[in-house]
Amino acid sequence: MTSIDTEGVRVTALAAGRVSRLPGWFVILWRNRKCRIGLVMLAAFVAVAVLAPVVAPYGPRVDEFAASTGPSGAHWLGTTARGEDVFSQLVYGARTSLVVGLVAGLLTTVIAVAVGLTAGYLQGVVDEVLSFFINLGLVIPVLPLMIVLAGYAPVKGLGLIIIVITVTGWAFGARIKRAQIITLRTRDYITAAKFAGDSTARIIAFEIVPNMISLIVVGFMGSALGAIGAEAGLAFLGLGDPQTTSWGTMLNQASLGGALTTGQWAWLVAPGLVLALLITSFTLINFGIDALSNPHLRED
Amino acid sequence: MALLEVRDLSVTYSPRDSAAVRAVDRVSFDVHEGEFVGLLGESGCGKSTLGTAVLRLLDRPAAITGGSIRFDGRNVTTTPEDELRSLRWVDLSTVFQSSMNSLNPVITVRHQFADTFEAHPDAFGNKQGKGLDIGARAGELLELVALDRSVLRRYPHELSGGMKQRVALALALALEPRLVLLDEPTTGLDVVVQRDILDRLRELQARLGFAVLFISHDLGTVMELADRVMVMYAGEIVEDQPAAEMVTRHLHPYSAGLLGSYADPRDEVVKVEFIPGRPPDLSQPQQGCRFEPRCPVAVDTCRTVHPELLPAHLGEVRCLLVEQATDPRAVLDKAAALRSRDQVFAAGAEARIAAEPVLVMDGVRKVYKTRRGLSPTVTTAVDGVSFALRPGQVTALVGQSGSGKTTIARLLTGVERPTSGTIRFKDTAVDQLGRRALRKYRRHVQLVFQDPFSALNPTRTVAYALSRPLRNHLGMNAAQARTRAAELLETVGLSPAEQYLDKLPHQLSGGQRQRVVIARALAPEPELLVADEPISMLDVSIRAEIVALLDKLVRDRGIAMLYITHDLLSARLLADEVMVLNHGVMVERGPTLEVIGQAKDPYTRTLLAAIPRPGARQLT
Amino acid sequence: MLYFVRRAGFFVATLWAAVTLNFLIPRIQPGDPAQALLARLQGNTQAVNPVQLEAVRKMLGTQDGNLLAQYWDYLGAICTGQFGVSYSYYPYTVTEMIGTALPWTLILVGVTQLVSFAVGTLLGAWAAYRRNSRVDSVITLGSTFVGTLPFFWIALLLIFVFAITLNWFPEGGGYGGGSSPGWSWLFFSDAFQHSVLPAVALLITGPIGWIIGMRNNMVQTLGEDYARLARARGLPRRRIALTYGARIAILPNVTGFAIALGGLLGGTVLVETIFNYPGLGRLLLEAVSNKDYPLMQALFLFTTIGVLIANFLADVTYGFLDPRVRRAEAV
Repeated sequence: MTSIDTEGVRVTALAAGRVSRLPGWFVILWRNRKCRIGLVMLAAFVAVAVLAPVVAPYGPRVDEFAASTGPSGAHWLGTTARGEDVFSQLVYGARTSLVVGLVAGLLTTVIAVAVGLTAGYLQGVVDEVLSFFINLGLVIPVLPLMIVLAGYAPVKGLGLIIIVITVTGWAFGARIKRAQIITLRTRDYITAAKFAGDSTARIIAFEIVPNMISLIVVGFMGSALGAIGAEAGLAFLGLGDPQTTSWGTMLNQASLGGALTTGQWAWLVAPGLVLALLITSFTLINFGIDALSNPHLRED
Repeated sequence: MALLEVRDLSVTYSPRDSAAVRAVDRVSFDVHEGEFVGLLGESGCGKSTLGTAVLRLLDRPAAITGGSIRFDGRNVTTTPEDELRSLRWVDLSTVFQSSMNSLNPVITVRHQFADTFEAHPDAFGNKQGKGLDIGARAGELLELVALDRSVLRRYPHELSGGMKQRVALALALALEPRLVLLDEPTTGLDVVVQRDILDRLRELQARLGFAVLFISHDLGTVMELADRVMVMYAGEIVEDQPAAEMVTRHLHPYSAGLLGSYADPRDEVVKVEFIPGRPPDLSQPQQGCRFEPRCPVAVDTCRTVHPELLPAHLGEVRCLLVEQATDPRAVLDKAAALRSRDQVFAAGAEARIAAEPVLVMDGVRKVYKTRRGLSPTVTTAVDGVSFALRPGQVTALVGQSGSGKTTIARLLTGVERPTSGTIRFKDTAVDQLGRRALRKYRRHVQLVFQDPFSALNPTRTVAYALSRPLRNHLGMNAAQARTRAAELLETVGLSPAEQYLDKLPHQLSGGQRQRVVIARALAPEPELLVADEPISMLDVSIRAEIVALLDKLVRDRGIAMLYITHDLLSARLLADEVMVLNHGVMVERGPTLEVIGQAKDPYTRTLLAAIPRPGARQLT
Repeated sequence: MLYFVRRAGFFVATLWAAVTLNFLIPRIQPGDPAQALLARLQGNTQAVNPVQLEAVRKMLGTQDGNLLAQYWDYLGAICTGQFGVSYSYYPYTVTEMIGTALPWTLILVGVTQLVSFAVGTLLGAWAAYRRNSRVDSVITLGSTFVGTLPFFWIALLLIFVFAITLNWFPEGGGYGGGSSPGWSWLFFSDAFQHSVLPAVALLITGPIGWIIGMRNNMVQTLGEDYARLARARGLPRRRIALTYGARIAILPNVTGFAIALGGLLGGTVLVETIFNYPGLGRLLLEAVSNKDYPLMQALFLFTTIGVLIANFLADVTYGFLDPRVRRAEAV
């Protein structure tokens, strides 16, 4: 596996940040065309999610319309079998996906960084034990574990989904961060910091973490992406919170509510398409970060 | 007609997100049949790019942007890859810079030979038909480079660095090529191993008669091995002379500067000099002579007129002054006279007065136990080593890699504890320090690192790096630390300090970084300095500069220094006393000139024999 | 040799950890797990029958015993293969249920995964071989695009288009009403017809990861010194691509294959549910919705062990493929 040149990225970012007032990492990402498109798309999703009550013509749960109608002027994407407006659900669904992505992504990243840093920096027995758990986390089949955990849970809710996703998703990031810190900790500047009298906590926070920023960002993006997909999958399987409107639940209801047989293609196509677009925006942003971190992948 | 004719060759790097750099600029040279040509230059001068271009191995974003390469009269500058293939290795073979990675890790050595023979069914040995016994031929080749035939069955990871490099050399000779291009073939290997491989190379070259283009930054080696030496600077060849002439009658001021940075450590008085300044930025358009900003004899026209490579003496030189002078040597004599005194660093034979030691190591032994599999292995890294370090004096610790040098540094700085024996710093028992006491002790003992690129955190400014020891060890506040940091920068010659305080490491050159590293080590006002190969990663032309700085600081401030190195020249320049370590045992110890001048121990002699002697071959 | 011993050690340790995890999951909730589960079963519309009661008791061990005793009983039951009775499919035992569903999943997933791996690796290698060419951008951009599509959505669209609109393939199930499982030609052709759409759904997204992984690895290996030296030696381009590029670049994919199996079972649950395919994945989901805890537990344990075995096999293969393995760090 390639070791990622996170120090290099950090340096480029610092250099770029000097020229303009924006943060350096942003300048770098913005320069990459693919990444720029991704950022604009993501911004659009965030805007829609935040402004959902303004954008959506109706509430997501308002079921006072004629059931199972096709697209029309009043209902751009038709109505559900229960008589709800599909387009409004779609708009509110963006909230769920983004919240799950953000929260589960953050939690996963925090755990991955904490475990990875501890294992990599301390080494010895602590590392052996943590590495075992990391490897265990990697080999245990994720979705079955999610399903079983969700199956045992007494209440179904978004919080549960987030917890399940976090519990099952931290291992991959932790492994990468551990590998990275193992290369960073042997740098001479770490030894120099020790001889300068700095404490271990300070060394980790001021000498190591700044050099891992890009790796942590990439890890967060990956986790958020995984979380969004997992939430949609679980909701589609009917294991999500029935009270929350999400694209996964919409697909689940479309499939149960006979969208396949009644020919309501809009109800079926739309949630999948927006999900695909959201994933695309993340992928495009990741392209920018990847190309920077790994010189081999740069297109030249 | 020469075997290899390069004419006006230019190579340009055009990366997507930064300015294009013309790394090789209209370079012309010849290599004749059976000739051993050295290409000498410092890092970034374009010598490796030139080599890669000659091999036609440039990858994007680099490309040949002008000129031609002719091999045996045939123009190969733009020959398509498919046609080129049958010529490769048969005419021109190569050994890469780091052979650590130049063998395929998943196939055996034999397989790599077989690949080569199969790719060239018409080449050597296959001529008589299908009779080639690959095993036998590969075995012969391995024996040529002093390797056992059993190596054929091994995978690359089972070989040491030196062995891999020998395999690479044997592979290069497999098809009896007419020209072998060697790009820093022994960099990174241990000195003694380096010496061994290069001797073998010279011998094979004489016996088999192939021509060699030897690319290196190691001046001594190039001068000693090559028939003819070309010096490269900022993408151009600046001088081309027979090796013997280059040693004694070089004409270009840059060649003079490079040669001035080398001396024989066995001489009574050893004198080295350095070239101030840095090479130009090739992404900017160049006007005038590229060496002008660093040249001690430059005149006004040098700034505006770009000199051509013109015949002079027995070769060619690119210098306006040489062009215009009636006696070209006079230019250099003038240069030598003009060179300011602080550009020269000399070490005589005088002994210094001994002071009370600050650190005493007595009968120290360090044993490592590693448990691999079921049986534990015991390695004795350091065995019964005793010495003392005195204020204002430098003690050099010399030895091969793996001789225990680093272990001694770790013991000295309290990173590890000795298995037996004692280490005392004044009244402190270093071998028994607790965590907190160790932190206190480190105020008095500081480190100077080998690699200036790894010793500074790329995300932290110079001011931050310098302020940490000041605030932690001397209890200064932020403002005091900044003022002191500026003073420290001035001390190490980074002036005006305000210009450097807020810079990040990547904005500094290697030499400037090393100065910052030294300033940081000085910050807590230590009494003991451990310098681990502090100049080995720096360019030759600035090494003497750092040696001079270290020398001045140690003498002025009365610091005791342990100077770890495998380079006897710098040891000779800096150290009052030399200790030679071999397999953890101190085999020789004494005043520098005595140890280097009249080595008794066989290992010290091997080290001395490994030092290149420019011009020595021509004299005998 | 040490490598194989270490991999075997890791296998045993993870196996034990998975078994223990399986024991702990139902006991994480506060209070008496059996009571909690029974309470939730009672909350369901149907009344708790004695079979369910017995099954839950058996699964959780003797109630009065302490945790350690329960753990001991549990280990004993697992070692002797007693997973209890499924109460949603009474009177079948859990083992019987798994046995019926296993071949379906094994064949569908096994075939599609091997094909995905082969196709993905080949396409990735091709893209790397023709780096920066049109082929490369088509493969790279194409797989990136397909990779962003939600897998279960593709499956739904496949049904919508090919089963419902065009009526080329059956909508779901493992076999039609006219045939029953057995060694008959009718059954096999019927089962094949039913498996086409699920297989296609799996095959559309399956190769993506392998394509991108292989391409990136191989672009890197082809940039290494050994590949450049091979070029300088005049080796044919194809030879370099195979022996000095692909041969080395495939190694991380081999380990990746086993790790991917874990994630893949997730895809199986989705695809089997959507296509109503009688495999392990659908069984797991049904067990969850019917609160058939013994079946659920056994299925989770079973799939985990399957993945662990696959992992171990991949590690062993890797050991044979990579001579450097004794130096390699444990993954």
